[in-house]
Amino acid sequence: MRAFLIAVAVLAALALLPLAVAGGYLLHVLVVIFIFVILAVGLDLVMGYCGQYSFAQGAFYGIGAYTAAILHRDLGFGFWQTLPSGIVAAGLFGLLLGIPSLRLSGHFLAITTIAFQTIVYLLLTQWTSFTGGQYGLPVPKVGALTLFGWELFRVETVRDFYFLALGCMAAAIGVAWRLAHSRIGRQWQAIQDDELLARAIGVDVTRGKLVAFVASAGLAGAAGVLLAHYLQGVSPDDFAIWTSATVVAMVLAGGRASIVGPILGAVLFTAMPEVLRSAQSYKLVIYGVVMILVVSFLPGGIVGLLRRERRA
Amino acid sequence: MYTLDFALQILANGIVIGSVYVLVALGLTLIFGILGIVNFAHGEFYMLGAYFGITAAAIYGLSLFPLLLVGILGVVLVGLLSERLVFRPLAGGDMTSSIITSFGLAVALQNAALIAFGPQPKLLRTPWAQIPVEIGPVFMPLQRALIPVIALVLVVAVHVVLRHTWTGRSLRAMAQHGTLAQLYGVDVKRVAVVTFAVGAALAGGAGVLMSSVFLVQPTVGNMIALKAFTVVILGGMGNVYGAVSAGLFLGIAETFVAGYLTNTLRDIVGFALVVVVLLIRPQGLFGRAIDRA
Repeated sequence: MRAFLIAVAVLAALALLPLAVAGGYLLHVLVVIFIFVILAVGLDLVMGYCGQYSFAQGAFYGIGAYTAAILHRDLGFGFWQTLPSGIVAAGLFGLLLGIPSLRLSGHFLAITTIAFQTIVYLLLTQWTSFTGGQYGLPVPKVGALTLFGWELFRVETVRDFYFLALGCMAAAIGVAWRLAHSRIGRQWQAIQDDELLARAIGVDVTRGKLVAFVASAGLAGAAGVLLAHYLQGVSPDDFAIWTSATVVAMVLAGGRASIVGPILGAVLFTAMPEVLRSAQSYKLVIYGVVMILVVSFLPGGIVGLLRRERRA
Repeated sequence: MYTLDFALQILANGIVIGSVYVLVALGLTLIFGILGIVNFAHGEFYMLGAYFGITAAAIYGLSLFPLLLVGILGVVLVGLLSERLVFRPLAGGDMTSSIITSFGLAVALQNAALIAFGPQPKLLRTPWAQIPVEIGPVFMPLQRALIPVIALVLVVAVHVVLRHTWTGRSLRAMAQHGTLAQLYGVDVKRVAVVTFAVGAALAGGAGVLMSSVFLVQPTVGNMIALKAFTVVILGGMGNVYGAVSAGLFLGIAETFVAGYLTNTLRDIVGFALVVVVLLIRPQGLFGRAIDRA
């Protein structure tokens, strides 16, 4: 209950923030953070709760974004259609990637997901006639959001998009929280702790793992659709393996299986390059070093650190 | 296009590229098999080797063999520092965290190279690049023709060290059973240092050799590392001789796909093979099933 109240308070503060600040830059950084929060919270379901390492979150993110771009190009879809399509498309590929997880574990699974990620990236860059290759594809602004013919909201400026992304992020966190604290979430943790034991006490491991992969990929797909409309275009380099590794680092750095952890991780790794802007060319070197330090010295992530502090 | 000569030329090109894959993958598979570390920064070792070679060539105008030495020594130094500063603190922890820390290392090294060497692509030019070599219908510059030869020498050297020295025996003992090896007095730290030195040396050497064929940029290590991973998986993770066969196989398969089908599929072949292999034969094409941990 306390966690819920804090969450509501933080969301309310974020919703009121545009009234207080005029600059678009802060809002832009926050929009990017919101998108990465969706990615990281999604990955936490499969990696933190279910214990299946996946380095393919960037690929699902890309599948969502390109689904939006291609459906807009070929069928003229708007945001209300591209959002569910992106989620479904990414979810289906998540199901596909979930299948190897039934037979492989640990490093072998991690490397299979890396292979999948790389294949998707290479298809995005090389299948020029379908994906636009390195140039990518254009995507329109979200524009007017209507519901049953009523215009709810117009999304034109960064500020409008900020509210849309905030809403999507809140919804994504809500979905992830519900899943993680329901029966399936407990099954995931049983699978993570001891797969054989989970099977023995009657947990449907096949179903559990597949649901985790689909849910995680679906959230990444939603993040991809948001990004596509926000940047008004898609290009493959946003969906390379570095994105996947960064999202994994966000989850590990924040603290696995906690929902709050990945959110903190996403804030840390998205805000850091912005804060380090004055360091110019050294910022990515520092970024890499921080990634190493956090994983080496904070095995439980930021959340683990906070818990230890409280106990002490 | 469908002549035997064309096929032989493609085969030769495939062997050249394949032998570079072998060198990079060999180090990667040693580091994985012996230390259980998945080193994504291995492509950066390759990239740094290439830059050290190019820089030394530009400053001192050395010929290929001294350049090779410079590249190898420089990268061995980087490899040892990485082992000490990045991977040793992780020992005993979750193995998958090595994937993330090595990603961090790769990002840091790549951007350090960007600062030090600049973004513009470079190519290694030695006088040997102008000397043509003709073997039957196959035609290539001497510098390129030497790549498989040097790779063979390095692979044989690794083989001899692994099979016939006490250091090699302790490395193999660690790969087979770490705890038991420790009980029998194998010095784990020394093994880790030697493994990283050997792995880095092979990758650095590969970088110098290949910098005369492919343009070198700070990001060039990405694709090489991923290719080397495909080789490691195809050959069976931790399997040294599997990596040698699979590396040559991948190089040849890629050049044939590029030569006869389309260049766009070239990079995808390996990754598609990996997914299939992991699903059907997780121990790799050349591995035995019992080796899988």
